Amino acid sequence: MTNPIIEASALTKRYGSARGVEDLSFEVGEGEVFGFLGPNGAGKTTTIRTMLDVIRPTSGTLRIFGLDPRTDGVRVRDRAGYLPGELALYERLTGSDYVRTFASLRHGVAWPYVEDLADRLSLDLSRKIADLSHGNKQKIGLVQAFMHRPDLLILDEPTQGLDPLVQQTFYALLEQQRERGVTVFLSSHVMPEVERVCDRVAIVREGRLVAVEDIGELKARARRRLDLHFDGPAPTEAFARLPSVRRAEPNGDALMLTVEGPLDAVIKEAARFTVVNVETREPSLEDLFLAYFGADGGPPASDPSSRSETTS
Amino acid sequence: MSGLLTKAVRDQRRGLVGWGIAVAAVVAMYAAFFPSIAKSAADLQRYIDNLPEAIRNIVAGEDYSTPIGYLESEFFNTMGPLVVLIFAIGAGSRAIAGEEESGTLDLLLSTPVRRAQVLVTKAAAIVGSAAALAVVAAVSIALFGPPFDLTVPIGNVLAACSMLALLGLAFGGVSFAVGAATGRRTFANAVGGGLAVVTFIVHAVGPTVDWLRPLRPFSPFRWYQDPGLLTGGLHARNVLVLVGIAVVSFAVARIAFDRRDLSS
Repeated sequence: MTNPIIEASALTKRYGSARGVEDLSFEVGEGEVFGFLGPNGAGKTTTIRTMLDVIRPTSGTLRIFGLDPRTDGVRVRDRAGYLPGELALYERLTGSDYVRTFASLRHGVAWPYVEDLADRLSLDLSRKIADLSHGNKQKIGLVQAFMHRPDLLILDEPTQGLDPLVQQTFYALLEQQRERGVTVFLSSHVMPEVERVCDRVAIVREGRLVAVEDIGELKARARRRLDLHFDGPAPTEAFARLPSVRRAEPNGDALMLTVEGPLDAVIKEAARFTVVNVETREPSLEDLFLAYFGADGGPPASDPSSRSETTS
Repeated sequence: MSGLLTKAVRDQRRGLVGWGIAVAAVVAMYAAFFPSIAKSAADLQRYIDNLPEAIRNIVAGEDYSTPIGYLESEFFNTMGPLVVLIFAIGAGSRAIAGEEESGTLDLLLSTPVRRAQVLVTKAAAIVGSAAALAVVAAVSIALFGPPFDLTVPIGNVLAACSMLALLGLAFGGVSFAVGAATGRRTFANAVGGGLAVVTFIVHAVGPTVDWLRPLRPFSPFRWYQDPGLLTGGLHARNVLVLVGIAVVSFAVARIAFDRRDLSS
């Protein structure tokens, strides 16, 4: 990697008996949009809070812009913008008083840019924060994270609670930052979001790093759900013997498939039959973990989600 | 940085207005009672003066019939500290622990400020508030006293009100430090408030309970009132003790807050 912005090496945080993160090593390059994907409680927020020196690692090292957040936190945070996962704002202030308070703590905030951000998010800064909806509070969080044009954006579950329209605006803002060469560290527990915006993804589970992959490879390994509806009884055998098909369950005229990697073989097989309808489902995090654990005889490959889907 | 201080002052303002009104109301009320109490106190005092000396020492407290005696015992030794301490202990525990518990501290410390800067501005706002309450008390006494013949030299009033503010800062400082060290607001309130109650009792009951007497020097109230709030002006040693408690508390807060993880 030419110019790493974040370097974590054997980063470990333990809280008494509770789980933190264990032995995380990864690098995020300049200008990269890096996803940090894992279910709730996997250690995503713990990792992010060590970057901001809000909590301190038990062992291991962390460098951001080549600096140790523990000793050079002010310089690190000067160049970083942060959106917490559990956003808590000063409820009694208006949006504009809030942003002004935070702007005074930072360098390089141009008020017209703040107004521009608020406009694009259709956020009314004059209202008292206590009166805002969850989504609008999240927008204030976004404005304060972006307003000083940071070199690094650290976003903890940024689209949580945003309605789909605002999510699109957020993705557009993020795309603009990427074009400016901003490095982004984005945590998420939803696969499609990471697929959509990230270049590379680290997958965390129970405090440990499962894998760091390019998005392309991740997609290739991801399991997809595909329901094929035929004009007659489902030809289960024809599909079950394909190497990419992990599971094939007939349900009347429909066949429910779980496919790993490219869909090509399945589509070509389907072309031999009369297909009435095709339904696809986004791969879930569970499907993704199965790709990493289930096939290789790792932890038990229980898949409760697939069972519930076949009965629904 | 300016935003930090503005925010810290703004946080104090709302509560401060209420407590300022409370101080003024308490002063006005006691001033209004003074004429009738002074009259009956004079009768009482004549009776006390005729008692044997040993008994007299136990019974006699402040001289209620004089403005200084009345103000000292009714306001500066009871209601004044009560109001100022409730305010200061609450503000002290809210400063860090309150903000940490509500979750807003995370985002504040994600900006390029040092934790020490946050502590300094929060502490400065509390010092300012305590000073403001002292001014309100002094002005109230100067304003509401004379119409009821409750007249005390303004210099003495200012000295006593300054000591009142320092007493608040000593206990508020303890809550501030406990809150900064633990992040737990209720706990910080309990430690500051509990300490105030215990040390007040030690000071008030100490003279009549043998085993408590040696503990009196450990009570901040001893340094707050002795030898007499409204008579002697400011005593350097008393000022130093109360300021010392506040300064040590701040130092503890600084060291402890810098070292620990914030709770999420």
